[in-house]
Amino acid sequence: MDAEDDWKSSSGEVTDTDQINDEDFYSTSACLSKLQFRSDVSKAKWNVEMGMAEVIEKKGKMWIATGIVRNGKTFCLIEETLFLAEIGALLVMDDNDECLALKDIYKKISEETNGCSWELFEVYKHLKSLGYVVGRHGVPWSMKGVENNSKPCSSQGTIQNNRVEGVEENSITCAVQMLSNLQVDELRLNFDVYLPNSKFRKSSPGDPAFLLCLVRGSPPANAKSEVLERQCGGIPLKLCHVDHGRVSFFSFKRVELPILP
Amino acid sequence: MGPRWKGKGAEAKALADPMSEIVAQLQSSLLQSNACASLSGCSVLLAVETEQTELLTRACFGKPIITAEKEKQWFQLGLEEAFYLCYSLKCLKIAGEDNFVKNDLGLWLYMKLKKEKFPDFYRAYSHLRMKNWVLRPGLQYGVDFVAYRHHPSLVHSEYAVIVLSEGDTGRMRVWSDFHCTIRLCGSVAKTLLILNVDKHGHGAISPSCLERYSVEECTITRWSPEQSRDDKKASENGAKSSFDHGAGLPIVMA
Repeated sequence: MDAEDDWKSSSGEVTDTDQINDEDFYSTSACLSKLQFRSDVSKAKWNVEMGMAEVIEKKGKMWIATGIVRNGKTFCLIEETLFLAEIGALLVMDDNDECLALKDIYKKISEETNGCSWELFEVYKHLKSLGYVVGRHGVPWSMKGVENNSKPCSSQGTIQNNRVEGVEENSITCAVQMLSNLQVDELRLNFDVYLPNSKFRKSSPGDPAFLLCLVRGSPPANAKSEVLERQCGGIPLKLCHVDHGRVSFFSFKRVELPILP
Repeated sequence: MGPRWKGKGAEAKALADPMSEIVAQLQSSLLQSNACASLSGCSVLLAVETEQTELLTRACFGKPIITAEKEKQWFQLGLEEAFYLCYSLKCLKIAGEDNFVKNDLGLWLYMKLKKEKFPDFYRAYSHLRMKNWVLRPGLQYGVDFVAYRHHPSLVHSEYAVIVLSEGDTGRMRVWSDFHCTIRLCGSVAKTLLILNVDKHGHGAISPSCLERYSVEECTITRWSPEQSRDDKKASENGAKSSFDHGAGLPIVMA
């Protein structure tokens, strides 16, 4: 520690939390015991073609900020499905009304064919567990207000919007994107993140607090994150990285130090 | 993070005594005395009179050398500092080992030889010095420079500066580098500032190349979701009620 500087006045960005995380890391049993008994269990049916689960029975308040709404129905993306299944809040059935085991959903994630990888899921889970509202970037919460949403969006977002709009016409097809053909160091916007808000409304979500990009390889070269930033339409961008189940978030901010007197 | 002034009145003191003026005074004083320093390894040695001792100290150039010599005060300048006084402010002459004053090109070549990344470092150093920031060596914090808003006696350094250039393959290329640097900066209450020097394909044959380089400033901070939940905006929306759990625990939302 440097004598010149005061520890306490540091931004305190990492220290305390990391110590907590350190403890969590080695006490699985303590973690497990904190899952509460749940009486409200919702039900959903996994649709292989869509790569989403259609919710057929909703219980609990989590639906305020979970699932996308299309034609009056609620669908869970794979990360939402797994998150709720893991904490025992959602029963997921297959076409034959057989209950899917967690193992089956883990397998779906590992295939990375539904637009989400294990690492992305870890990011999603980390933020959701803290109460943040997390939506897949480029996939609107509902079709209401999509037309009003005229702010510049990423190209992939537009593609997905179009897809979803098409979806409205031809009932529902696929609103998810393949991840597997992405290169390891290719950057794309993954999530729209909103601050914890119990009054969140899917029909008018507002601007996210920030957009999140998971970096799968080495830290991005300058030029690459610049390209990504241009896709953000003025909304702050954060990059995150997952290593051994530990999620870290970084803000890269272009600045201009003032000219001093 | 914002400036952390050292005690009451420090900010007012700094405001009343702008760095640009101190440096301008130093410049004219060195010019007047036809100051000449000499190269010695990776340092430049300069002997000055009392008045200039004070100005060098106030402008934060170099480091005084304690000697028994009464009339003169010796200073040891770093390569960037010396080149800034010589090339950018044109107020210092620098002699080589042969005692002959080196021209800009000769000096440039010497410094490049001593320090491979000198062109990039100098471009970064002069970029912030021109904006009247005070720069000091940053090695003790594991970075290239630390940047102060004014004299270090009045304010703590705000930024830990790392100079990066294209083709840099060694530094900040893996995530552990980011964690390591940001953690260290945070513990000494500095923000990590990356200065990306872009040469736009121009080489470093002569100091005139410097004009063609550009510098981009970028801060990198770690964001902690555990500590950002209770953002003002969020609590105004009455968001707290259902999210009162401790950090990092699986929560039950129903």
